[in-house]
Amino acid sequence: MTSISTPTQAVMPRGPSMRLAWGLAAVSTIAGVAGLIWRFTGGHVAANYGSYVPWGLWIATYVALIGASAGAFGFAAFVFTQRRIEHYRVAVLATLVSFGAFTAGLLNVWLDLGHPMRAWKLLTDTSISSVMGIMAWFYLVYGLILLVGLVGMRKGGVPTLVERFSWVAILFAFVFAGAEGSLFGVVGAQPLWESGLTPILFLAEAALFGLGLVAVAAAVFGLLESSSARMLGTGMLIAAGLVLAIEWAEFSTGLFAGVPAKTEALGTIISGPYWWVFWLLHLGLGLIVPALILLRRRGDVMATGLAGGLVAGMAIASKLNLIIPAIAQEDIAGLSESFSGPGLGTTYFPSPMEWLVWLGTLGLAGLIVLGGHRWMSAHFTETSPTSLQETK
Amino acid sequence: MTDLMPRENLMLRMQTEVQRALEKPQSSRHWGMVIDLRKCVGCHACTISCVAENKLPPGVVYRPVLDQEIGTYPNVTRKFMPRPCLQCAEPPCVPVCPVNATFSRPDGIVAIDYDQCIGCRYCIVACPYGARTFDAGRTYTEDTPEQQAYELLPTYEYGVKRQRVPRSEESPIGNVRKCHFCVHRVEQGELPMCVTTCIGVANYFGDLNDPDSLVAEMAAQSNVVVLKEELGTKPSVTYLV
Repeated sequence: MTSISTPTQAVMPRGPSMRLAWGLAAVSTIAGVAGLIWRFTGGHVAANYGSYVPWGLWIATYVALIGASAGAFGFAAFVFTQRRIEHYRVAVLATLVSFGAFTAGLLNVWLDLGHPMRAWKLLTDTSISSVMGIMAWFYLVYGLILLVGLVGMRKGGVPTLVERFSWVAILFAFVFAGAEGSLFGVVGAQPLWESGLTPILFLAEAALFGLGLVAVAAAVFGLLESSSARMLGTGMLIAAGLVLAIEWAEFSTGLFAGVPAKTEALGTIISGPYWWVFWLLHLGLGLIVPALILLRRRGDVMATGLAGGLVAGMAIASKLNLIIPAIAQEDIAGLSESFSGPGLGTTYFPSPMEWLVWLGTLGLAGLIVLGGHRWMSAHFTETSPTSLQETK
Repeated sequence: MTDLMPRENLMLRMQTEVQRALEKPQSSRHWGMVIDLRKCVGCHACTISCVAENKLPPGVVYRPVLDQEIGTYPNVTRKFMPRPCLQCAEPPCVPVCPVNATFSRPDGIVAIDYDQCIGCRYCIVACPYGARTFDAGRTYTEDTPEQQAYELLPTYEYGVKRQRVPRSEESPIGNVRKCHFCVHRVEQGELPMCVTTCIGVANYFGDLNDPDSLVAEMAAQSNVVVLKEELGTKPSVTYLV
């Protein structure tokens, strides 16, 4: 590791944009605190998920953020492994972004639990037949790797150990993101999920969302240069192409096969009450528009940041499309009308409490990245060890 | 006149058979149910008695009766289909539980350990029959000036006395809940509440491992239908059509 201690000149962005970022993150977190109080005083009564649609906004956010975290981490590990020193500062930021997304993702799923205070049982009483049980251990190892990596890099420069063993991290991010998809892929009762393509889709989306998140963060922090923008843009284009190809395969085979259980779920996605989430948010703003921007303005810092922002912003829409339409189908015709009560319907829209908590977790992720950026300021200066490594 | 009277009291017979099964080791008996859809009139007595027996709050149901229309107007018929937990021998809900909170008992009942369940609801999405519901902590009188006493009565599910404290996170609030064949009654030699209250004796309950039992006799009929048989879940609840 290059460990030069010299007076540093800050390149950390100041001014209105950073103040705005801090302000937005802080306000969102405060809104989240209100939601959290609501969540813990009112329990799950204030939520709109229930029995027939048992998962909602929080689970969609959890899988989107965990995937994005794995994608960002994979990017950082790739840069370190390949000794692409010109991208080191972006890679350090990617590690930070990965940690922020990971924390917020876990917070979403933790608050979704009926008994959050029993979450420790996931580690002490793990069922190895459950993907969710195995994932709990993955999260622990992953969180530790992230923390150790961040602490190791805190003083500036990238330790040789990190450079040398980052291939293990790439492998881990790969398995991790795929296993996240298996969480859904193994559920035989949900024809929309039970597919060998589901883990592959999660992998491609993890790469896409992770790169998008890194691109927008790097643009906001003023760290994105043309070469990094080109690299991130190319990665996003490849990942977006993969996502489109997998979704086309999944949708076309599902619709042509004509098995009602699956076509109903696909129909809900394409033309259900929330058709615009699929067509406008996911496909339009989340895939096609960013792809067009990247194709037309390759290597452009602002364009890459914007495309990354769109991709990252629409990540949750993509996961909502996967989760809600699948479980919003009756397991047996007439089930939802046989007994009425709260949570016994097949429609879902997040409640105000869910939105508040969700906003808070995103705000917290923002604060982690913003605070982490300051905490690791040694990396983000003109003469920091990292930048010196970059200019070697 | 004698010919018009039932030859035997089926309820008494099933109860006797339950008591006989209890004399065997738990792993030697396999509780099962056969529901005769030809006798079900859709009165919902089983649903209501289940709610009363297990003190089920709003949003939690163990045994809904599905009202299905068959055909198109004017050639329409109706079919009623009670849907308890099917107590699958190969339950998809069990392996997905990350903390082993739901498990198959040696007697075939798929049970939930309320103190172990973390409320992740993975089992709900894994059940192909929609037989599991989530107890969010609601009460019937939550928006009224006074909590009614019946809402605070304890439940005895799985033989454990539990006081439900509304708006708390004490089990069974925050847990996934499901039909368990009223195991707390069965283990006392009584029939599940839905069987006892069925006005048409459309439910046959007992030990499927006992070839002389009424339920085993019914389960062997040629007109038995297994719900979503193609999934291979091997339900312990079947239907006569």
